[in-house]
Parts: sequence; C-alpha cells; structure tokens
Amino acid sequence: MRYKYLVTTLPTLSPSFDWRAERIDWPVRTEVGRGLSGVIATTTEVMWLDPASANLTYRGIPVETLATDNSFEEVASLLITGSMPESDPPGYSAFRDQLRSSRTLPSDVIGLIRDLDPKTHPTRLLRAGISALGCHELSVDDDLSGDRHWRELRIVGQVAALVGEVAAHRAGRASPVFGPSDSLAESVLIGLDGHRPDPADTRVLDLLWVLYAAHGLDAPTFTSMVVASCLADPYFNVVAGLSALRGPRQGGASEAVLDQLSSLDRPSSADRLVRRIIAGGEPIAGFGHRSYRMPDPRVAVLRRELAGLAERRARPEIFASARAIEIAAEAALAPRGIHVNINFYAAPIFHLLGADAALGPCLFAVGRTAGLVALVREAMDTIRLVRPLSRYVGPPERTLPGSGSA
Amino acid sequence: MIGGSQAPSPQTYARGLEGLITGDTRISDIDGLTGRLTYRGYSIADLEANSSFEAVSYLILQGEVPTAAQLEDWQSELRRWRRPPRAAFDSLARVPRRAHPLAQYRTMLTVAACHTPEPENTTLDAQWRRPARILSWTSALAAAAIRHLDGLDAVEPNDELGFAANFLYQTLGVIPPDDEIRAFEASLIVQAEHGLHAAAFAALVVISTGADLGSAVLAGMGALSGARHGGANQLAFEMMAGFENADQARTWTRAALGRGHRFPGFGHRVYKCPDPRVRALEPHAERILRSHGLEHRWEIYTALRDEIESALGPKGIYANVDSITGLLYHPMGLPVSAFPIPFCLAIQTGWMAHCLEYLPDGPMIEPGAVYVGSADSS
Repeated sequence: MRYKYLVTTLPTLSPSFDWRAERIDWPVRTEVGRGLSGVIATTTEVMWLDPASANLTYRGIPVETLATDNSFEEVASLLITGSMPESDPPGYSAFRDQLRSSRTLPSDVIGLIRDLDPKTHPTRLLRAGISALGCHELSVDDDLSGDRHWRELRIVGQVAALVGEVAAHRAGRASPVFGPSDSLAESVLIGLDGHRPDPADTRVLDLLWVLYAAHGLDAPTFTSMVVASCLADPYFNVVAGLSALRGPRQGGASEAVLDQLSSLDRPSSADRLVRRIIAGGEPIAGFGHRSYRMPDPRVAVLRRELAGLAERRARPEIFASARAIEIAAEAALAPRGIHVNINFYAAPIFHLLGADAALGPCLFAVGRTAGLVALVREAMDTIRLVRPLSRYVGPPERTLPGSGSA
Repeated sequence: MIGGSQAPSPQTYARGLEGLITGDTRISDIDGLTGRLTYRGYSIADLEANSSFEAVSYLILQGEVPTAAQLEDWQSELRRWRRPPRAAFDSLARVPRRAHPLAQYRTMLTVAACHTPEPENTTLDAQWRRPARILSWTSALAAAAIRHLDGLDAVEPNDELGFAANFLYQTLGVIPPDDEIRAFEASLIVQAEHGLHAAAFAALVVISTGADLGSAVLAGMGALSGARHGGANQLAFEMMAGFENADQARTWTRAALGRGHRFPGFGHRVYKCPDPRVRALEPHAERILRSHGLEHRWEIYTALRDEIESALGPKGIYANVDSITGLLYHPMGLPVSAFPIPFCLAIQTGWMAHCLEYLPDGPMIEPGAVYVGSADSS
C-alpha cells in the first residue's frame, strides 16, 4: 500500500483534486506549488473545503446549515469534541460551562492590558493578554502535554474575554460586566459598546464566528500546528497563531475593506471607483481567494445579514454601497476567476456591531480560535516535528580571511 | 528560503514534511551525512575559532563578513538598542514567578511589541531596521526574566562589553572570567542558524502573511519552547545531572538501551552522523567543567555519549547540540529552566535571516489538509 503512493504522484495542484481520502499512507508523493500549495501537511476529520465548489463542511455538516441553526458555542463543541450538542447533552453542558467560566480574567492580566496605550493595535494587546494569561494558567512544573483538552478549550473563552477587555480599554470604558449565563457573543458585544446587546446582534456575531471558525490550514492554524509539533504549551501555540493573524495578506484584510467602503461617496459611483482601483493596478479589497476561483458560498449568508443589520441600524447606505461595489467588481473580475470573499461583508458587519476597523482581526480571532484548537488538538495524537528542508544555492565553502585553516 | 524560488515538483515526503524541499536558500548548508554546517560558506568551526557573535550575526543576515567599519556600525547599532521599554520589565510583576521562564520572557516580548517603533510599517526597509533591535532587546529582557526567577532586579547594560559578555553580565550581575565568556560566545555562534528547523519554519510562515519581523520571532520562540526543540537541552542536562559518576551513568545507559529508551539530546532529524556543533563545543565544555571542579560531569557525559553512540550510531543516532549546552551553561550559573534562552537568543538570528531572504517575493505559505472524516452527514 505504501508503495502505491511512492510511484503515483497525487495531482494536488489540479482543480479537480478533491482533498479527501480514506487515509494517507505516508510517505506521499504530490505536486508542490507556490507557497507550498498542493503539499499535504496533515489529515483531518474536522473540516473539509471542497475546492470544486468552495463548499465548507465542519464534521460533515455544511457550514451554512450550522450558521442558520446553531450558536457559535455549539459549533465550537462540534469542531473540538466531534459531537453535536443534541447527541450528548451533559457533555455539551460541561463544555459550555468550561468555555464560559474561563472568561474570568485575573486582575493582573487586566492590569497588564490597562497599563498599555489604548491606541496600540488591538491584536498586539490581545497577544500580550493571552501570553500573560498563560503564565497564570500553567506553571514551570506542569506537564505540558497533560490535560490539554480543557486547557485549550479554556483558550477559546479566554480569547473572547480578552477581546471584550481590549475593546473596552480602546473605547476608554471599564471592564465589561457580564454573567456566567451570557454567551461568548453577548460578553464580547458588551465589551464593544458597553450595553447589553439586542438578541438579533448576538445572533449576527454568532453566525459570523461560525462561518469563520475553521478554514483549513490558514496561516494562524498552520503556524500553531508547527509550534504544537515541538510540544509547546497551548499558550505558545496561540501567541504564535495570533502573530500570523493580521499580516496584510491575512486578517488585516478587513481594515482595507472598510477603507475602500468609506472612499465611496454614493452607490452610483461604484463603477468609477472600481475602474479607478483596477486601472491603478491595485487589488479590490475583499476580493479573491487563493484556495478557489469561484464565489464563496459563505458570502450569500453574510450579504443577507448585512442587509438586515444595516436596516436595523438605519444605515441602509452601508449595504447599498457594499452591494454596489460587489456588483461592479464582480463584473470586472469574475472573468478572471476573482470573486468576492467573506471579508468583504464581514468587515462592514463588524463595523456596525461597534468595532472600529482595527478591532476586526480580534473579532475574527475569537471564531478562528475554535477551529485552530480543534485542528491542533486532533493533530497532537500523531504529530511529528515539522521540519522541511531548503536547497542551498549560496557561496561554495570558503575560509575567513586570516584564519589558518578551517 | 528565497521567496521567489520554486520548490521541485513533484516530491515525496513523510509526516512532518520530512524530506520536503521548500525552496532555495543562500544562508546555510547542512550536510547531515558528513556533519558539516556552514553559514554563507564558512564552516562553524572556522567562525567559532576566529570570529565574534556580532560578526557572525552580521554575516548570517547580510551574507558577507563585515569590514572593520561595517562591524563597528553593527556593534554600535546593537548597543543602541540595549535598553528595552520599561513596560516590558514591569510586566514581570503581573505574572506569577512560578510560570515557566520562557512564558514570562514571552510575555515581556509581547508587551515590548506594544512599544515598538513604527509597528505597522512592514515595508522591506522597515523590516531590515528590526534585527539589531530584536537581538538587543531580547537579550536584555531574557536576562531580566532569568534574574526574576530568583527575585532579583534587572541589571543595567554595560556598554564596554560585547553581546555575549553583556548578556552574561546582565544575567549574573558580574562579569564572568574570559574563558567562560569565550565558551558562551562559542555556543551562540554555533547555534546562530540551522536551516528550516521547526522554529525557523514557524517564523517563515508568519512573515509570509506580511507580518512584522517581531511577530515572526515570537512564533519561532513558541516553537523553540517545546520539549522536542529548545526544551531538549534542559531535559538532557537533567538526565545527566541524575548520575553521581560515569560508572553509574554507563550501567543505567546500557539497561536503558536494552529497553529501547529515547535519550534527550541524542538523535537529530537532519544529522545521521556526529553533530558538528557538538564537536565545536566539547573542548569548551570540558575546560569549563574542569575549571569548576566538575570533572565527573564531563566523564558522565562522555560515558553516556560513548555508550549511546556505539549502540545507536549505526542507526544514525549521535549526540546533538542539546546534549552539551547545558554542561556549559550550568557552571556559569544559569538556572536549568533557563537553558533554552541562550539557544533562543542565538538562533533567532537565523530566523530573521530566513524571513528577510523570503520577504521580497515570497508568497503566503499555505499547505493543505486531506479530509479523512465521514462523508456529508447532513
């Protein structure tokens, strides 16, 4: 069986390769493309992104179904434990209690964040907070590999708590006040604007997190997996993952989308704006995805949500502008296989929920942490140190001037 | 890895991307069959014997040995950044002292990253302004984190001292003897770069997203903290420190070999022969241990090494660098739980060089995962 893969090259760069198998018999032989596209870094039962349709499923269930029918906490449970709440009610109840109770931050951690300049980019504040929390959670004597399940689960709730704290600090408000029966989305929204949220808003944030929860080996998840392969403690993993969260090519995208939206004075100028951006050789923010070249099905869900939210906020022009840019840009870019992506509608939704542009990546982080933890935990069972090679093309061997012999 | 370079395709590789060539590099060459390691063409033995950490870090980053004037500039740039923001030191008061020193150090770095100049500037020019600051800030912060373990306050830098000596001075509070500085500097030089090991690869993935160099270094540090990586020198030392003499070590090792035991500090993914870093550091370790009246520890090490290598050498298992650095660091007064820190300070040089080499044309690194779960269950 092993031999089969050694003589057969898996055509992983072909658009028709569907990234599913009964199992992988290592070693494998695959195509290798730019940025290691086509390389099989791991196997997973957590999620599948169908490259032919861009359909995304978590544990076999389409993400659009989950977004409509389930809360983020239920989906986090599905991703991490593999079971839906209804199949194990006591298990889910324990899971949710852990998730929610982990939101109590030590006063030193709050103090550490509050000592920092509120104008610091919020992802940096979040990273400092999670690092400090890790120092409170684990001591030098802890077995780093033991008891991983609950500890990493705590991280999802802890990231949510820190995001609420960072948002409040940024707005110059005291720490958000919430109770153990408030969901993660409720407590973050309290951090964002200081008030108990409308249930419809909570629903929108839950839905966004569900859609964002897992998306293959994106940079934060893959970084965490490399770190986990060295058997680092979970807080090192998440600090590393957060470090990969908002490069301009990653989570930073939502900031560019909002800038683009605010540069449009009225929907009827969308054609002109899009033509000007493209003529200038610049990308349209919120367009294009390297994993696939068709419209992302998650966008339809978010487009509907933005329309509803903008209506409730009496800001219909935001939806009208976004929709106008989308139509103009689709017309110009679709023939080239470039389509609207999830950030295009997520960014204005974050904005209407009370998050300024810089907070976008932090809000994204709460959802993505669930998938990151699920994928890393799953990989821990079989993980080997990730250590690829590079080919040396530098100077031939030489000796230092003045050294006798080397 | 040179960002624009194309990896060969197709390729065969194992779990952990073992055997996968990700692209080209001009930084270092590792020959795992003959045991040679060169930085930019110079062997580590040559560099260890004839150069300084400052000159070697310049070489790794810039590609050529510095001229006297270039070295002078680089040294003064490194000295300029020896005083990190006060807030990073103050963060130690916000975390329990029983936390792992690397986790405390990590927190100092994340707080320092909130006070970094031009944090959001990720142009190539701005990235090139970062290595000197990162090397010197991390050195001062690591020294403070180590002192904090004993409840001691940070020590101001001494601008008369070079990088290695100043780190030891800021850590220990005294200037150690020259031969210890020399041995410590040798350990920094031979550990300053080592290809795409897991930590360097983690840093590369982060820089490929367009992040700043400090974020990439944080990811590398996270990887290095793991027991399979930087934490191994601590485990190797603890194993050796458990023996009273060489005979006891030999007897235990023979029995452990019979049980198929895995020894921390032995065996390496790349080297299937003696590790050249070990050969470079052994004379220093022997000298330092003898000068401290710790001959028995040297004898325990050689007994263990000889037993393991004669039994497992034919399978390609030899002492790796983690087996020896603890023997050097312990007599100097570094606490055991802090052993990964000097490794981290040295090897981040290589991570930064790989990131800067990758940046100009490098695409985002995003490999795939094969779904092996159930079919749609909706």
